[in-house]
Amino acid sequence: MKGKEAERSIIVETVSRVMIPFIQLFSLYVIIHGASGPGGGFQGGVVFGSSFVLYVVVFDIIGGRKRLPESVNTVLSSLGLYIYAGLGLLCIILSSGVAQYLNYGFLPFTPHFEENRALSIEFVEMGIGITVMAIMVSIFFDLAWKEKNRKGREK
Amino acid sequence: MKGLPTITLILIGLLCALFIYVAEDIPVFGDPNSPPIKYVKLFSIDADALEDPLNRGVIPNNLMDEFERRGFPGPSRVEKVTGMEGEWNTFVSKEEMHYSKEEKYYWIKKEGDKLRVYRYAFVVRWIEKGQEETGTPNMVTYGLADYRGYDTLGETAVIFTAGVSVILLLRRRGRL
Repeated sequence: MKGKEAERSIIVETVSRVMIPFIQLFSLYVIIHGASGPGGGFQGGVVFGSSFVLYVVVFDIIGGRKRLPESVNTVLSSLGLYIYAGLGLLCIILSSGVAQYLNYGFLPFTPHFEENRALSIEFVEMGIGITVMAIMVSIFFDLAWKEKNRKGREK
Repeated sequence: MKGLPTITLILIGLLCALFIYVAEDIPVFGDPNSPPIKYVKLFSIDADALEDPLNRGVIPNNLMDEFERRGFPGPSRVEKVTGMEGEWNTFVSKEEMHYSKEEKYYWIKKEGDKLRVYRYAFVVRWIEKGQEETGTPNMVTYGLADYRGYDTLGETAVIFTAGVSVILLLRRRGRL
């Protein structure tokens, strides 16, 4: 039973080896262009997570876990939310007494109120993207591991 | 238990009727002047001798009194809608840091011998002032991340909670 592996197709492996970097690049494009075109953090994060799913489906799950270790995945899944909520907290501190939570204009990136808001929207989108990507991958890996463990115990 | 299918059928019928009733109220798609998108009607007032001062950019006293009597904020400036006869935009001054000092608030329209006063919906400000206030050209993005920032923060928290729940339920390897 141990040596019986699923048949691996060289075509699928090669194509996905080429595709995965471009999927990730496209997801970064979607996140960065959230402010000026269609796109945003949620969509970009899901596309980025799907590249890991493709890797696990085509290659093996152990290798996938090596590419994105569990510790990194757990840190990333909370990092995005930290960025988002932390920006809001910074706004409270920097608005000095007005307590404008999530009013990004008070962040001192540029001297202009409107441009601060435009820049902070980008950071918020990146935070959303990181969290969505990490959670997608984390859920996928958890479901996939469970399957293997059960088979191992039955044997 | 015998009457359960009948009751279910009646309930489904009622639900269908409710949906049809609601769907009748939905405005035509893409109509920029439909009430939910543009304005809410507040009250109407007799038009006699009010039209001339409004055209000159002065708010008449009895219109002002009517606003105060009903508890609405009094307008500070009025101007004609460009290219329309018998329609006026009314502005209310505000004291908000870093924002424009007045907001387009009421829309007054002459219908017959009455003046109808409408309140502009928030969507109007969203569409007209959004890019200038946030510096972002995409309407959806500044809505998602700026005007409705609390909502999006909550959505991200929901996704995070879902992920943590899956970790707690399915990951049984002794470490996080």
